[in-house]
Amino acid sequence: MIRTTNRRSTTCFNACGHCRQFASDPGLTAFHPALRRRAFSIAALIIALTVETALAAPTAIETDYSDQEILITLPTEVSADTPPVNATTAADRVQAYLTRARAEGDPRYLGYGQALIEGWPDERMTDRLRILSATLDQSLHRFEPARAQLTQVIDQSVDQAQVSQARLTLANLELVQGRYAAARGHCEHLATALPGLIAASCMAQVDARTGNPNDAYETLKTLTRRASEQDITSLLWAEGTLADIAAQLGKPEAEQHWRRVLTLAPDDLYTRTQLADWLLEQGNARSVVTLTDQYEQVDSLAVIRAIAMKQLGHAEGDRLAARLEERFREARWRGNLLHQRDLARYALDIAGDTDTALSYAQRNWQDQREPLDTRLLLRAAIAAEEGTLVAEVRAWLNRHNQADARYPEERS
Amino acid sequence: MTPNCCRRLSAGLCLLVLLTLPLTAWAHKASDSFIYLDQNQSQLRIDLALRDLALLLPLDSNGDGQLSGAEVRNSRGAITGLVDQGVAVSNASGPCQLIGMRWGLSRHSDGPYAAARYRVACPDELSPSSLEYQLLFERDPLHRSLVSITDAQGERLDVLAPDKRRISLDNPGSAVGNTLQLFGTFLYEGVLHLLIGLDHILFLLVLILPATLPRKQSQRPSPTRPIRDFRLRLLELAGIVTAFTVAHSITLALAALDIVTLPIAWVETVIALSIAVAALNVFWPVLGRKTWKLAFGFGLIHGFGFASVLGELTSGVSQTVVALAGFNLGVELGQLALLGLVFPALYLCGQFRLYERAAVPAMLLMVGSLSLYWVAERATAI
Repeated sequence: MIRTTNRRSTTCFNACGHCRQFASDPGLTAFHPALRRRAFSIAALIIALTVETALAAPTAIETDYSDQEILITLPTEVSADTPPVNATTAADRVQAYLTRARAEGDPRYLGYGQALIEGWPDERMTDRLRILSATLDQSLHRFEPARAQLTQVIDQSVDQAQVSQARLTLANLELVQGRYAAARGHCEHLATALPGLIAASCMAQVDARTGNPNDAYETLKTLTRRASEQDITSLLWAEGTLADIAAQLGKPEAEQHWRRVLTLAPDDLYTRTQLADWLLEQGNARSVVTLTDQYEQVDSLAVIRAIAMKQLGHAEGDRLAARLEERFREARWRGNLLHQRDLARYALDIAGDTDTALSYAQRNWQDQREPLDTRLLLRAAIAAEEGTLVAEVRAWLNRHNQADARYPEERS
Repeated sequence: MTPNCCRRLSAGLCLLVLLTLPLTAWAHKASDSFIYLDQNQSQLRIDLALRDLALLLPLDSNGDGQLSGAEVRNSRGAITGLVDQGVAVSNASGPCQLIGMRWGLSRHSDGPYAAARYRVACPDELSPSSLEYQLLFERDPLHRSLVSITDAQGERLDVLAPDKRRISLDNPGSAVGNTLQLFGTFLYEGVLHLLIGLDHILFLLVLILPATLPRKQSQRPSPTRPIRDFRLRLLELAGIVTAFTVAHSITLALAALDIVTLPIAWVETVIALSIAVAALNVFWPVLGRKTWKLAFGFGLIHGFGFASVLGELTSGVSQTVVALAGFNLGVELGQLALLGLVFPALYLCGQFRLYERAAVPAMLLMVGSLSLYWVAERATAI
């Protein structure tokens, strides 16, 4: 359970200040050279205005669709239309929306959850609702409100289970943002309040990212072997953590750890993405295509799949790349991106647009500093020949004593 | 991570499980609708995801959890009604009508959408200046409407959100273009106003007429230089009408900027009277022979007259000064154009005695009578 922490990279949906408006995005035009059109219009006093345009041409309106054709299958209702009667019902519903959002990778459910929380009176907020609200905020890259609500629960709640939950969630948030000292503090508290694989995984992750990956791996592996088989969720989380540390160390065991997780939890999109990335790094593009089959709707998996297809010269590669292009175009128009990391990687490895890749990788790194985020920024900065930036990132890594086999090698 | 895991754990831990699930890989984009507004063609297209519509309307009439082509087709009325309630375009003249042109399905990166194209008809037949959108925000605060606006300056993109439900359709990126457009509009209005305003034309005529008459013997130029004489007179007249323009520009500005306001009925009466006096002055120069001074003096009165017209035109215009400048320049250009057309003809007539003896007095008499009639008419209306 609690496979949480170490691998959550959250996405940017909404209101985060660093998400840019599409229309003012300087990288945009560079990103869509084929869609650029310059139109000169002569104004009354012979003034020529240059206009970037044709960014949003819609498909035609089709009128002769068949009556029998099934257009979509509607998602089953998660909850009723009636407002929740009490805080428990409200929390259950928000939790159901969050579960659904995670399992299906569908951000619409986060919106439904947010509507429910926004409509819920402040004086009737409970610790559980606050934690759920913070989780929602974190998913939407609203890190400061998330941190504030979690801290409030930790400081004020008398319910130990809620405090532990808040600590775990906050530890995750700090780890993702690269604030290892804060994360370590929460993991230590967790070890006292809730000893077991969860707390051990929490510590292992922080240790691994701050200079002790070998010890962290061996210690967690030993604990995992001894763990009770009943607690599957804790085991899965520990396996995921082991996989990540193994990958950091460049150990081939990483794949087995991830596959173990996926066998028990095939819907774990995060683990699937990690494994796909690993396989791609190992030069195993065919396995990537197999692993990502049926997951083209998921941006992170689709980008890795497209890269693998490109490497293989796969017949479907261009079609997938075009689909991704449309998706990212709409996301940029919306102005806040689901996945700056995915977009940066698409720009770097598919579109070959180094400037766009660097700009998104940089912005992503301001929010999330998991190894895949850091690696992407290093790769983009190297491709753009931004030596100073590379040095800054390396300096940050050195400060935390963080080494990772997945990072590009340092050129001396 | 799965519901099975939950069953084995206490309630508190079950929550932990949920919250620690990875939240990183998104299979769908968030809820978006699309609005394409073409100001050049006065058309608006809106695309709404079937999935989002199903939240608001009972589209799935047979309750099988799927939407068929027939179910969507049968919901057309309900979907159109929803758009009527949730989408509004308007301008200064009021709300604009959306008149359906085409209705059907379209597709975006996350699936099928119901799409409709409308003709936009505003009460004043001008383009809408504001777009307001209310759909879905209550159900999903992450919902956005992605807007594309195409106008003379090209295409630009915008986004409607719960905290931004209305957007201005005026082009923010081309303030210069807008100003130019405004200037051009009022330039045109100035020319137009001069040409359709009979009293101003008559006043101009009265100013022109003396210059078309042959000069007194002592002033007669050498007959060998008629061309030079014509040019001199044309320049003199241009000076007179410009003096008129300068004068009315001053009072027009004072009135338009609300520094001086005079009752329009009185102003109109005095304008009519000024024409009669100017006509009289040709025969009996009670106000002297310096026509440009006359033009300047009466121009001051006429400026207040223009102000009443301009006031109607500039309601809702923020850049009054630009409008004012355009209008004045338009009046001046109209005057000069009229002068260029009429003066040569009258100058030629001036070679005939009959013109000087009969035609000019007749015209002045007519203008004088008409303007006196206006004086009486306007004065009684006060």
